[in-house]
Amino acid sequence: MLEPQIVVRGLSKTYRVPERNPGVGAALRSLIQRSYRSVEAVRDVSFNVAAGEVVGFIGPNGAGKTTTLKMLSGLLHPTAGEVVVMGEVPWERRPAYLRRISMVLGNKSQMLWDIPPLDSFRLLGEIYSVPPAQFRETLDELVALLELAPLLSKPVRTLSLGERMKCELVAGLLHRPAVLFLDEPTLGLDVSTQGRLRRFLGAYNRRNDVTMILTSHYMADVVALCPRVILIHHGILLYDGELDGLAHTLAPFKLIRVGLSSASQCALDLPGGVELLQRTNGSLALRVARELAPRITAQLLNTLPVVDLSVEDPPIEAVIDQIYQGDGDQEARL
Amino acid sequence: MNLRGGWALIQRTWLSWLQHRSFFFLLAFGWMVPPLIYLFVWSTAAGAGTAGGLRRGEFVAYYLVLILVNQLTYSQTNWTVGDTIRHGGMNTLLLRPLSPIFDALASELAGKVVYMAFVLPVTAGLALILRPELQVTLQGGLAFVPTLAMAWALRFFWGYALALLAFWATRADALLAVQDALIFLLAGQVAPIRLLPAPLHQVAVILPFRYMLGFPVEVLTGQLETDGLPTGLALQLGWLLVALVLFSMLWRAGVRRYAAVGG
Repeated sequence: MLEPQIVVRGLSKTYRVPERNPGVGAALRSLIQRSYRSVEAVRDVSFNVAAGEVVGFIGPNGAGKTTTLKMLSGLLHPTAGEVVVMGEVPWERRPAYLRRISMVLGNKSQMLWDIPPLDSFRLLGEIYSVPPAQFRETLDELVALLELAPLLSKPVRTLSLGERMKCELVAGLLHRPAVLFLDEPTLGLDVSTQGRLRRFLGAYNRRNDVTMILTSHYMADVVALCPRVILIHHGILLYDGELDGLAHTLAPFKLIRVGLSSASQCALDLPGGVELLQRTNGSLALRVARELAPRITAQLLNTLPVVDLSVEDPPIEAVIDQIYQGDGDQEARL
Repeated sequence: MNLRGGWALIQRTWLSWLQHRSFFFLLAFGWMVPPLIYLFVWSTAAGAGTAGGLRRGEFVAYYLVLILVNQLTYSQTNWTVGDTIRHGGMNTLLLRPLSPIFDALASELAGKVVYMAFVLPVTAGLALILRPELQVTLQGGLAFVPTLAMAWALRFFWGYALALLAFWATRADALLAVQDALIFLLAGQVAPIRLLPAPLHQVAVILPFRYMLGFPVEVLTGQLETDGLPTGLALQLGWLLVALVLFSMLWRAGVRRYAAVGG
């Protein structure tokens, strides 16, 4: 493996948040005395990322993904642990570091609202001291890849959400960052715009060898872009590895779908360890532990009038959902 | 210091502001109204004689200059800093290799140009109708420029420092409203400082508010007592230094806190 470009060791972040009960009385009391509660947003997270890698950060709302990204980009100071990105400590926020990274926030805009995108782009070019020739070349490339040419001279406030997001990406990439942090880049976009942005990010990564860390709630983003995923839940790193391995490790079961000939009414005598998910006229969907799958498949073939049978991995969304719902159990199991 | 980026930001902000000329013209009109009211109150009080030793035409001159100085020193960006902090806009600014103070300075400069495009012709029109009596001495004219520049800097950094309290308290802009009220009372708007009753007069001379607005007006209209200029300059400079120290301390502590608690 190459020398890691991003090194994260034992990273933790604890917030102190004010707390009060609902109601007027509690509000008045909180004027005099505030009570606080500690929230451990990120707990002892460690990982490395190599140059040019694309890593997906997944986890439910409030898992600590954005907090981690903010620490990597230098917006937040950790409570404990260390981060080194390209030899720099992010939260020192040295201009030399800020010039080499970019963070695109799906819910925040860098564009000036009342003037055309081109003016904002030129401004960013100046702020990041991009040489004029390089600026034109980069802008042309990005405009072509994102099919943005017709929008360049319209005021930003007249653009649609998807068009604005494309502009945000251009704004974030104009200074050719070596590391790109993307927080929910496809938030609120329609399916085809999501797809177009995904293809753009994939192509951009291949062409320019940019390291990307991306958070998203759309598994399609992660499946399309990230060979590697890091799953965070309750601030704890639960999984770091290939996307395919996620199901193996965290959802050790298979789905068996069975088509039956005439036995729709016959009594079902299912072997132990099998969970019936769905039964319709002439078909069954079953969930079994991964290691039991071969034996149970054989058993089903022997005991039922099977016309059709398939064994599948559960869809990635289902695995994720199970982990998100499972709350603390996963932590215990790992 | 990224001056190239700062200058580009100023140009772009100006472009953006020009889109809303009429809105800013209305704001500027709103800021003109209180001094205009007191202009009429005091010129009526003076009538054909004097009030507090000033003739009608001198009041007109005083308040017309005050309207201009007020526009030039009023820092409307102070009101938006708190919002930027509260709504997470500071994240975007902190990610750039350019200090966020440039955003405020850019809005300041952009604003002045737009406001002046409205206020200068209006004041000139009023001067034609109301016939001010203004005799500018060489000393007064020369001292006006630096006192005006320092008045702007003092008002800007003082207000910015107050606005930065939004890093700690969610609605720190209430303090800006208090500052505006104090400027109204103690900076020469409700009456020229020398007409204030004795204890209030002393308070006004010592506190920073006069040096944000009234002081340059007094310098230009020749209302200072003989030793007024050196003392006033010393106090103005002193308060400016206090404001700069306050601003840089609060800025550093604020960003540290922001990094600790998140935006």
